[in-house]
Amino acid sequence: MKKRSAFAAAAMGLAAGLMMSAAAFAADGKLMVIITPSHDNPFFSQEAVGAEARAKELGYETLVFSHDDDANKQNELFDTAIARGAAAIVLDNAGADATVAAVKKAKAAGIPSILIDREINASGEAVAQIVSNNYQGATLGAQEFVKRMGEKGNYVELTGKESDTNAGIRSQGYHDIIDQYPDLKLVAQQSANWSQTEAFSKMESILQANPDIKGVIAGNDTMAMGALAALDAANRKDVIVVGFDGSNDVRDAIKADKIAATVLQPAFRQAQYAVELADKYLKEGKTGQDEKISMDCVLITKDNADKLDNFALAN
Amino acid sequence: MVDHAAIRDVAHRNGPSTTLLLILRLRTFIALALVVAFFGLMAPNFMSVANLVIVSKHVAINALLAIGMTYVILTGGIDLSVGSIVGLTGMIAGALITYGIPLPFLGVVVWPNVLETMAIVLVVGAIIGAFNGVLITQLNVAPFIATLGTLYVARGAALLLSNGATFPNLVGKPELGNEGFPILGAGTLFGIPLSIVILVVVALIAAYVAARTPFGRRVYAVGGNERAAALSGVYVNRVKLAVYVISGFCAAIAGLIVSSQLVASHPASGESFELNAIAAAVLGGTSLSGGRGTIGGTIVGAFVIGVLSDGLVMMGVSEFWQMVIKGLVIVSAVVLDQMQRTLSRRARLE
Repeated sequence: MKKRSAFAAAAMGLAAGLMMSAAAFAADGKLMVIITPSHDNPFFSQEAVGAEARAKELGYETLVFSHDDDANKQNELFDTAIARGAAAIVLDNAGADATVAAVKKAKAAGIPSILIDREINASGEAVAQIVSNNYQGATLGAQEFVKRMGEKGNYVELTGKESDTNAGIRSQGYHDIIDQYPDLKLVAQQSANWSQTEAFSKMESILQANPDIKGVIAGNDTMAMGALAALDAANRKDVIVVGFDGSNDVRDAIKADKIAATVLQPAFRQAQYAVELADKYLKEGKTGQDEKISMDCVLITKDNADKLDNFALAN
Repeated sequence: MVDHAAIRDVAHRNGPSTTLLLILRLRTFIALALVVAFFGLMAPNFMSVANLVIVSKHVAINALLAIGMTYVILTGGIDLSVGSIVGLTGMIAGALITYGIPLPFLGVVVWPNVLETMAIVLVVGAIIGAFNGVLITQLNVAPFIATLGTLYVARGAALLLSNGATFPNLVGKPELGNEGFPILGAGTLFGIPLSIVILVVVALIAAYVAARTPFGRRVYAVGGNERAAALSGVYVNRVKLAVYVISGFCAAIAGLIVSSQLVASHPASGESFELNAIAAAVLGGTSLSGGRGTIGGTIVGAFVIGVLSDGLVMMGVSEFWQMVIKGLVIVSAVVLDQMQRTLSRRARLE
């Protein structure tokens, strides 16, 4: 009996907690649904924070979800958004092809989707696709990498998840610059799936196979941090590391002379802009912009690292 | 490590099927020898001492999880929560080093030193394991479901702890007296990385307990035939509770090592580690139905997986092929295991 009452208390506590969080959705206002990949990457959590803050300023209720890069889960979240009668969806999507159907479904239900960070392989379905110019950013990172390498030496490339479009675009951008220098030699190229832990252990193995490396160029900042930890463990303070995204961790490493450079994608601003366009579309029936909008990336080195915070660069 | 009695038993009969049986019994060792030889030939520097140390360091994390997993599987259970426990315990270590223990009602923050931090984290790991054990023994939840639930709860808790962010730069501050956390991941004892030393110590204790103590015999008895064990006076529930505590504790050790190596705690770390741990145990000859398996076999199994993944990286093989090859190796191990069981049953009948 005692056991049972303890359960009842626990269940009631849980129910009360759920109701409290449900109360946040209950108010009767226009609803903006914000869907991004997992917030365990600060890049995506800053997108969500930026979009949510702007939407609240503009008087919207918000629901923030994460699809964890699972197209099926994303599809279910779209169903939820439609069922909840969302006014608009701001989405950093889970796959260029796998997302098209979900965006079409929302359109059919009269809900405009505004895409950020990653494109989809269809036009005319989303109201806007605001994408950082990953290619331009990668060329910026690669130019700095080439400069710091002195145009020669062996290097390693850690690429992102191979199913992610941006992983391919960044790698392409890197190579279009680096491959012009025949003395820069790619000795190992591995995917570390955007993961710090994986980058750490793969970098350790690569260092064993190729001790004579001079640089590492990584497809994002979490992998750059993983590679840096492996290089530190091997006491290789001389290796030049370049990342991509502009996270605070890497900013601090740049200030401490441990990482050479990264490329900032304006994630925070991009998410806010998406909300502004959604608001304009809902009020005026059009965004007044082309569907595809490209935002340029910014190179971050020791010169401007001080101004960087939470994926935004102070003026 | 090797079942010597069984080898003698098999070797003294000289039929073709008994030789085959011997090879099958030693399959994990043979597999390890083959992969090591293969990469020794194919991957530059693979056989260097420095690289073998690195490989062992990578194996240590999975092997620690697999040791706890072996105990659980020996009782006929499964622990899917270990990967999430790695993530959560690492995050708790990160939080303790970054924020200490705030006591709002006293208005002070207590800063545990690194050893205290580790002790707290290990206790948390054991408590999560005990939670699994209570669900399974007192509330009769199937192990698969109970630990699946914990997999989600612990991962969610890890993400909640920092709202998804990483705790970076866990070096501590001299004025707070909590420096030294990176030593666990980067330090050495007589030139051997601490994670390997820890693995050796834990493995020796675990192997001794499993093979030579009454508790170990009870673990095998519960997995072999739970009802018979209960009837012969084994407190089945206590044994089961204990193995989940062991598994949670081992996962906490792994969580500390992972965070210490990265000098940062990431809430997603440890994802799918449980599957690698199960694979190591199965490769090492542990039967998923319980009652059969050894710690030594599991360690060898973990080395096969670790050598394979590090070797393929050193050869520059693509991630996609790495996954295919790992899967094939695991399935072949189970196929060989089944062949061995059929053959030994036949040998016994002769």
